[in-house]
Amino acid sequence: MPELGSPPAPRSRSAPAPDVLARAAGPGAAARRPKIVGFLCDWAVSAEGIVREDGTMRDLPNVTLIKVPCSGFIRPSWLEFALKNGADGTFVCGCPLGDCFNRLGNNLIQDRVAQMRRRLERQKIQPDRVGTIYYGLHEQEQFVAAVREFSDRVAQLPAAPPPPARRPGGASPAQSAGRLPGEGADGAPSGPTPAPEES
Amino acid sequence: MYRRLLASLLRWTLRLDVGINRVYPADFNPLYYTGGLSNLFLTILILSGLFLFFYYVPSYNEAYTTVQYISERVPYGQIIRGIHRYSADGFVIVILLHFFRNWFTERFRFSRDEPWISGMMLLVFAGFIGVTGYVLVWDQRAELLVVMTGNALAAVPAVGGWLRNLLFGGPGLTNLLLPRMLFLHVGPAVLLYVLLWWHYVRLRHPKVWPPAVWTLFSLGVVLLLSGLIPAASQPQASPTTPPRALAVDWLFLLPYVSLKYLTPLWLIVLATVIIVYGLYIPYQLPETRAEMGLRESGIAQVIDANCTGCELCYYDCPYNAIVMAPSPHPGVTKAAQARKLLAIVLESRCVECGICIGACPFEALELPHFLEQDVEAKVLAACRS
Repeated sequence: MPELGSPPAPRSRSAPAPDVLARAAGPGAAARRPKIVGFLCDWAVSAEGIVREDGTMRDLPNVTLIKVPCSGFIRPSWLEFALKNGADGTFVCGCPLGDCFNRLGNNLIQDRVAQMRRRLERQKIQPDRVGTIYYGLHEQEQFVAAVREFSDRVAQLPAAPPPPARRPGGASPAQSAGRLPGEGADGAPSGPTPAPEES
Repeated sequence: MYRRLLASLLRWTLRLDVGINRVYPADFNPLYYTGGLSNLFLTILILSGLFLFFYYVPSYNEAYTTVQYISERVPYGQIIRGIHRYSADGFVIVILLHFFRNWFTERFRFSRDEPWISGMMLLVFAGFIGVTGYVLVWDQRAELLVVMTGNALAAVPAVGGWLRNLLFGGPGLTNLLLPRMLFLHVGPAVLLYVLLWWHYVRLRHPKVWPPAVWTLFSLGVVLLLSGLIPAASQPQASPTTPPRALAVDWLFLLPYVSLKYLTPLWLIVLATVIIVYGLYIPYQLPETRAEMGLRESGIAQVIDANCTGCELCYYDCPYNAIVMAPSPHPGVTKAAQARKLLAIVLESRCVECGICIGACPFEALELPHFLEQDVEAKVLAACRS
């Protein structure tokens, strides 16, 4: 993914960032950093001291943590739900693999997220927007570092809005169809970049 | 006080894990497989024990000589005897690791007391089997063990002598002693498997075997030890020259060492207290979630209308808390109309972890106080903030 993500990211975020991102992913993405929603297992990393009252992380205000009873509790559809409602990335944090308090939860979510990434690929959402990390109760520093890394990696991704979010309305094919003839006359060569944002 | 101690022990356990995970991938951390490793050692013990059983004669005259015969005459007998000896040590080490690890990480919470109780019994019986194994060799240490056990049991008021006769078949060294010890070595070993069934009955997909790397490593260590340090008996026991000093084995014979400092009665009281306390551990800490500072999610509920009987939750529930019953009526949704089975949550086994919710693709399960819309509301709030 880095070879896909790194070249366009700095340019697109420096020059057309404010309006493109705002249109792309709602008000949350207007900030310079990507909006991340994280699901945190109750038994994995202790949230004490790293989370503010509103659920955002102290060091990374763009990351919101939602505590759940076990990482296996998470339905992959909730991750998709987050992506389609304006989050730029979502991750799940469970106990270290093999050491789940509820025995199997983190192995299950690992498998489910792996399947989900394939599904996302078919929907033209970058699978790297979804991640799993595993840290034990006292590994707060490593956890914060991993979340920061995840956040940076999501920021590197091309800021494409998820096309399926617009699909139910049926507007996107009609729009593009209506626009194509108009642009086809002179604007066709300059067209490749708008494809992700405007669809 | 106890909670603070447990918290710091947990901290150290996890720190050890982190250190080991730095060396190995987490999938191969041997501390995550202490249960599987003890199963491995138990299997080695059973197989090598079967071999030894074919040669062993439980009588005063022949017990010692048959053991010597195995060591000296039988092809690879010395190696197999060594394997039996050292895998017993390995067995006790890994079950103690298993015990302490699950204690410090509080894996006895909620409805998980049954594995704990059966595990305590497995631990006690494993120690007992080890001691009877030392007696079977019938060297001087064996004789001393019998005398010390007899004295310790006789010190119990009222029923002491009766207990000793029950165990040894009469006062002093009777002809029944070694056959009884043989039975008490082999019988409880079978009992271990019964207890293991109990240990596993509430666990879905228990990790019963370590990764191949650790299987080979353990086998290698046991083989190497039995080759390098051959398992040997003490001099033969003879009633005329009773032994004075105990050759110590710190894993199995620790209670006998403590007899140097304790009177037999105190030892028995102490052992009873330790075992009873071990059985009490899962009930010692406050059990309610509010006291633990955890949310009350409520026991998982099946939504009858949506359940399709697909068994996914049944396969994923880590505690076997979901059973599939023949469906009394069809479900409401299209997918649920042709169902043959219906999922049912056994409340006494549910720990409210919600893994079944993640397993269900048909939205047929929910935690009553932490619904899907609650999660989605939180996600939306997070996305809007």
